[in-house]
Amino acid sequence: MIRVTVIAVLAAIVTTLVAVLIRWLPESASEQMDRITFTYWFATVISIAIFSIVIGLIVYSVWAFRVQPEDDTDGPPIHGNTKLEIAWTIVPALLVISIGLVSAVVISKNANAGSDPLEVKVFAQQFAWKFEYPGEVRSDELVMPLRRPVEFHMESADVIHSLWIPQMGQKQDVVPGVTTKIVITPTRTGTFTLICTELCGLGHATMRAPVRVLEQPEFASWLAKQRAAGAGAAGGAASGGTGGGTQAGGAASALGKQTFASAGCGGCHAFEPAGTDAQIGPGLDNLVADAKKAGEPEDAYIEQSIVEPNAVVVAGYQPGVMPQTFGETLSPEELDALVAFLSGK
Amino acid sequence: MTSTTEPHSQHGLRPGDPPPRRRGIFMRPGYLRASWVTPLFFLIGMYIVVALRALAGWDPVYDWEYIVLIAGMVTAPIGFLLGMGVFDYWLYWISGRPTVADDHASHGAYSWKDYFKVNTDHKVIGIQYLVTTFFFFVAGGFLAMLFRAELAEPGMQFFDTQTFNGLVSAHATLMIFVFIIPAFAGLANFAVPLMLGAPDMAFPRLNALSFWMLPVAGALFLASFLAPGGAFATGWTSYAPLASEQPFGQVFFNMGVQWAGASSIATALNFLVTIITMRAPGMTFWRMPLLVWANFTTSLLVVIATPFIAGSQFFVMFDRVMHTSFFTPDNGGYVLGYQHIFWFYSHPAVYIMVLPGFGIISEVISVFSRKPIFGYRLMAVSLIGILVLAFSVWAHHMFVAGMADWLRIPMMISTLLIAVPTGIKVFSWLATLWEGKLHLSTPMLFALGFISTFVIGGLSGVYVASVPIDIHASDTYFVVAHIHYVLFGGSVFTIFAGLYYWFPKMTGRMFDERLGKLHFWLTFVTFNLTFFPMHWLGLDGMPRRVADYAGTYGALNMVVSIGSFVLGASVVIFAYNIVVSWARGPVAESNPWKAMTIEWQVSSPPPVFNFDEIPQVVGGPYEYGVPGARHAVLRGGALQEAHA
Repeated sequence: MIRVTVIAVLAAIVTTLVAVLIRWLPESASEQMDRITFTYWFATVISIAIFSIVIGLIVYSVWAFRVQPEDDTDGPPIHGNTKLEIAWTIVPALLVISIGLVSAVVISKNANAGSDPLEVKVFAQQFAWKFEYPGEVRSDELVMPLRRPVEFHMESADVIHSLWIPQMGQKQDVVPGVTTKIVITPTRTGTFTLICTELCGLGHATMRAPVRVLEQPEFASWLAKQRAAGAGAAGGAASGGTGGGTQAGGAASALGKQTFASAGCGGCHAFEPAGTDAQIGPGLDNLVADAKKAGEPEDAYIEQSIVEPNAVVVAGYQPGVMPQTFGETLSPEELDALVAFLSGK
Repeated sequence: MTSTTEPHSQHGLRPGDPPPRRRGIFMRPGYLRASWVTPLFFLIGMYIVVALRALAGWDPVYDWEYIVLIAGMVTAPIGFLLGMGVFDYWLYWISGRPTVADDHASHGAYSWKDYFKVNTDHKVIGIQYLVTTFFFFVAGGFLAMLFRAELAEPGMQFFDTQTFNGLVSAHATLMIFVFIIPAFAGLANFAVPLMLGAPDMAFPRLNALSFWMLPVAGALFLASFLAPGGAFATGWTSYAPLASEQPFGQVFFNMGVQWAGASSIATALNFLVTIITMRAPGMTFWRMPLLVWANFTTSLLVVIATPFIAGSQFFVMFDRVMHTSFFTPDNGGYVLGYQHIFWFYSHPAVYIMVLPGFGIISEVISVFSRKPIFGYRLMAVSLIGILVLAFSVWAHHMFVAGMADWLRIPMMISTLLIAVPTGIKVFSWLATLWEGKLHLSTPMLFALGFISTFVIGGLSGVYVASVPIDIHASDTYFVVAHIHYVLFGGSVFTIFAGLYYWFPKMTGRMFDERLGKLHFWLTFVTFNLTFFPMHWLGLDGMPRRVADYAGTYGALNMVVSIGSFVLGASVVIFAYNIVVSWARGPVAESNPWKAMTIEWQVSSPPPVFNFDEIPQVVGGPYEYGVPGARHAVLRGGALQEAHA
């Protein structure tokens, strides 16, 4: 028994070194991740103990009880030991229940948004993320204030996506037809990446969004600026619709570029003016030639391709891949501006 | 195999019956008949579709998606089975033509050609299963090596993302549905009737049908690569609504699962009836070897759970082809409904893929430690415990899915508790080793390798059972690592242990022990090299099922890819050893491992009908070291025949 203990302790030391020396989890950036990290270590201590006992017994048995092939004697006919069997039923049960209790407490704490959360709506679609702050401020970038709980209300336009910022731990699927919720309270400033973790089609691997955590005053000024800019863009688009002229045209072009980014076009399409180079869908730099090939006027061809993407499918690409919902999700102004932006006007 | 007995083709015909009509070579069951019946049935299916569309006035009349679905995936496979002769006996019986109840014309193998025909001998079917599933194992492994090549470096090198997703999905699907599950069915097919002291399975013709549905399933999965738009690319989980919007290759998954599932259910029913009704006299439930116990519980899991995945795949397919709304949010469908139904099968499926392995390990550990299995009854009871708990844990796959919050805690507790019966098994194996006389032959090495890797898979299972840790780890490479420690470190290691253990019994020849050990060590080392770093990748932030990833993960992914290539190459050693030993290995004695269970008391390979007289069981199956103890008494010439 002493030798088994020695081997098990050695195994425990090695495993502990592996657990401690390798940085398994990313450096936490949220209160929720702090608690997840605690649960992780709680389970790890128990796991190291069990793993070491098992490996200790296997290694010792192989070392001590191995016989030569020609040895044809049998071992002692031990059929069981009731006390031992009860022990290895009860002790593991208690250990896993303790993990369950810790986990239950952590879940309830991690789901608690406190009394004054910042509510952010999340819209996911193939293959882009959009965020909406109170006051209808829309953004393609997720910006969060430091140490204030952010409660996400998430909707999907097409298939299931999943929101995860590795350093913040929390993850939640975004399900069409259901509004799902999740709470994140950032604990350090910096930039992070939000990634989609539920296979959602062709562009799944590149469905990401930038994340920034700011000090609360900086966040407030960012939000105010966005609010002002949003109002300006909306006003510009409206005047472009009625008046015209160079100034309004400029605003429409800005709206087009903004729509290109916010609708997630760049997730799949290469388009030089927008600086995107994705290869999932056909490139958009030769739309004039493509429209000619399809035998349609340029603007009509582009609008049709956005609203009804399966009408004309470029050779070498599959129908049914591009979302067919842009006719509903884009406003008429946004659609016109996007067509103008794509046709280079 | 080596037996020279004449086949009993005329056996059982009563005097006065007309002699069987001689049939032309194109009418006899076999590949020639299948070669024209299969296309004929394709045409029948095709013109059913065309006629219905023409009658309804739908354009186009020749809609190839529907034609391939109905003709290619339903009627042509039925035509193939009909041509091979799987249904002959039943059709004769139904149509009132003379049948011979104990017709053994297609029973037993007398030359290697008999393995390529419809056969009703459980030992032949067992080997047919194992060889077929090994083919799909190699195919699935090859797909994995292709996408590991893509993942060796960040950025896109060899494939576009749709092809990549297709490779990942087909890899998992082949491994799960046409390798692991049926490979266990193959091992059990060979071993269980022998261990029970039964002459065959309860329903030998159903057994043949079960086997022949399997190549259909595998062929459909592989054929999806030829579909326009590529193979099904939504993972083996095939979540709605993505699965109902994908290119046509997806339907090959929906329908392939039906064939594999039907095969699985038929086999499980066969095992249940065999185990319940065909135990030799004296073989009480408490005297059954643990492999039989394991297949008993596994078969219950299969029979209860498999219809759920069949339903989920039909519904998802109906959403596509009939425009229903089971799982689409418009028209009142419920997206998460798919996941509930799917996991109600697919979590028990994990136990379907590991309980038979537990059975194999119990046999191997006891025999090669020369000791009775420790705590036999608790070992059997813990299988029942896993069976019951397996149906109450499915939603632990859905902790981040957006299901009702209150469901998380009960699912977490039941999931954590299922570690208890699993732990009992591990500790009992360790106690069986204690003070034994350990013979480290190849099967034993795989058994010990299994315990050490499966313990890691079990412990990482505790991590993902805990909701907060799972919320972080779900859908990352941590989960990929966990499932491979369970299904490779668990299932595949036990399949190898079982293959080496029963190889002398199946073939009558010994394998090369040195190559077997080399195969073990290469597999064990490269398995850990391939899958252990994935825990780290996942926890640090690399999601699963991505063709491209952040550059910081490049180095570890290169290690994983290199490990996977060597792991793939190690299978070549196994294949070489098996093929060469089967052809010219030294002749095996009837009981090379000196085991007590009944299959080792008959010749290697066993006679066509297993026993001259049904054995009498007189004691437990693992009474090693008990002076004078016997498990069963065999009369008749089975053993003598072997020594003759």
